[in-house]
Amino acid sequence: MLAKVVKYRWQYLMIAPAVVLLFLFSYIPMAGIQVAFKDFHIGLTIWNSPWVGLENFSFLQDDQFWVVVRNTLWIALLKFIFGFPAPILLALLINEVRHTGFKRFVQSVSYLPHFFSWIVVAYILQSMLTLDGGLVNQFITNLGGQPIFFLGSTEWFRPMIVVSGLWKEIGWNTILYLAAITSIDPQLYEAARVEGAGRLAQMRHITFPGILPTVSIVLILSMPSLIAVGMDQIYPLMNPANQPVADVLDTYILRNGLQQGYFGTATAIGLLSSAISLLLVLFTNRISRKLNGEGLW
Amino acid sequence: MKLSASERTGQILIIVLLSLLCVSVLYPFLYMLAISLNVGSDAANGGVYLWPRKFTLYNFQVVLGNAVIRHAYLITILRTIIGTIAGLLVTLLAAFGLSYRGLPLRGTLLGYVLITMLFSGGLIPFYIQLYNLSLVNSFWVYIIPSAFSAWNMFVMLKFIQGIPDALIESAELDGAGPLRVLGSIVVPLSQPMLAALGLFVAVMHWNDWFAGAFFVSDQNLIPVQTFLQHLLSAQDVSTVLGSNNNIEALARGSMLENITLMSIKMATVMISAIPILCVYPFLQRYFVKGVLIGSVKG
Repeated sequence: MLAKVVKYRWQYLMIAPAVVLLFLFSYIPMAGIQVAFKDFHIGLTIWNSPWVGLENFSFLQDDQFWVVVRNTLWIALLKFIFGFPAPILLALLINEVRHTGFKRFVQSVSYLPHFFSWIVVAYILQSMLTLDGGLVNQFITNLGGQPIFFLGSTEWFRPMIVVSGLWKEIGWNTILYLAAITSIDPQLYEAARVEGAGRLAQMRHITFPGILPTVSIVLILSMPSLIAVGMDQIYPLMNPANQPVADVLDTYILRNGLQQGYFGTATAIGLLSSAISLLLVLFTNRISRKLNGEGLW
Repeated sequence: MKLSASERTGQILIIVLLSLLCVSVLYPFLYMLAISLNVGSDAANGGVYLWPRKFTLYNFQVVLGNAVIRHAYLITILRTIIGTIAGLLVTLLAAFGLSYRGLPLRGTLLGYVLITMLFSGGLIPFYIQLYNLSLVNSFWVYIIPSAFSAWNMFVMLKFIQGIPDALIESAELDGAGPLRVLGSIVVPLSQPMLAALGLFVAVMHWNDWFAGAFFVSDQNLIPVQTFLQHLLSAQDVSTVLGSNNNIEALARGSMLENITLMSIKMATVMISAIPILCVYPFLQRYFVKGVLIGSVKG
């Protein structure tokens, strides 16, 4: 054994930085979860701060917390309902385009927003939706309507998040589906044509079943981020006016923890949401294996 | 091939739908560019939709003349370069080391990496750790914690395992050690993969605003995206640019009245986005390749 380890010393040396980084930035923070059960503040170490039992979980009795949970679930649900099938539909549409040049163009353009930060997207929303001179409101007033304060409204917040999320990622998320479509055996289509199947029938009976395994993989992979509904996306757009619907678990943790210094409470909430994510992954993987005989592991 | 009438209507419908999608993506950029190239006070009257009506480079002059923005830009460029090199290096080395199937404890090490993808301590314990390591309020908070990516490592690992064993074995027979194998076989053969992953890492660094907003309070360390995030909710121009000499110099030029908060914002956001818009057409295929190698099974 020792001889073997010596033989592979270079490989161990190469892996070492990664092992150390993971230890420092993943494993120690995992041990840091004990802060959820401790009275911690900056100046103490996580090891010598006193245990307080479940005191930090008193947020469970806080009405505000349940509003935040409801907001999180709403946004997660809406983003999932619209965000999951949309790229599949788009991939099917792009696949139907006969003109190769146009097809390439659509793909290139639709991937583009993926490469901009959510901050840039927030600016785009601001420039389009703001009250003074925003394009959409100019349009509404020109038609004789009343301008809408989209960025500070509680009714428009969720649609805004869903639409901007779609806009940013729909194209990018088609890449895998388009690749899956190209790997479908062309003979299947030929056979279907001989049988007299039209384009729609081919789409339904060949293309769609052909990409189902990919769909299920993407589904599993999307689970961990389901509850983490995009601090990246929501935080920049949140303001006092829309906070009643915009405040989600991530922003709540941020505010309580980093901004107000309630480290224990914020860690406890984080622990809860990490646990839910983990369960979601394990659960979807199991379902996928039952249905398709194929999971991630 | 001749299309039937119904197929032709189908094609037209699809082309219209997809064109609308393209317009919805491209138009906001053209609009923001037009506003940023228009005299601010004039744009505020509305009616600028596609082209600047009163063309000026003044908004860009103001933005680029601002020391805070220039400094933020410098930080962004620095962290993107250093962060990308560090990220690729650590990730490639780990993937290469783990690609040796005979490596003792290989399964354990793979598990060690995999677990971190499934479960994390969450933001607060992570922050406390950054604090304990004195990374809070340091430039290195941008580089070190993200130098290894488990996800990219697995992509890289899969790619390396796709390199024919015979190639590596024959090199080893000729007496090449692991370093030699890495340098003369794996790296040259992985260039497309390294390019794709490098681009992903670079874009991540370029676009990240979160670390700058929460792990750093020194204004000299914030990157451009964090500056933009502060600017997003600004109420008037002076909060943006500060009351430094710069503004006075501008006021003396009596042009200050021509800029508006919106025109300044649009110029700043364009400056953060233009580099990506410029390189995107050339790099796009690498990105796509990266995603495909990384995720398609079988």
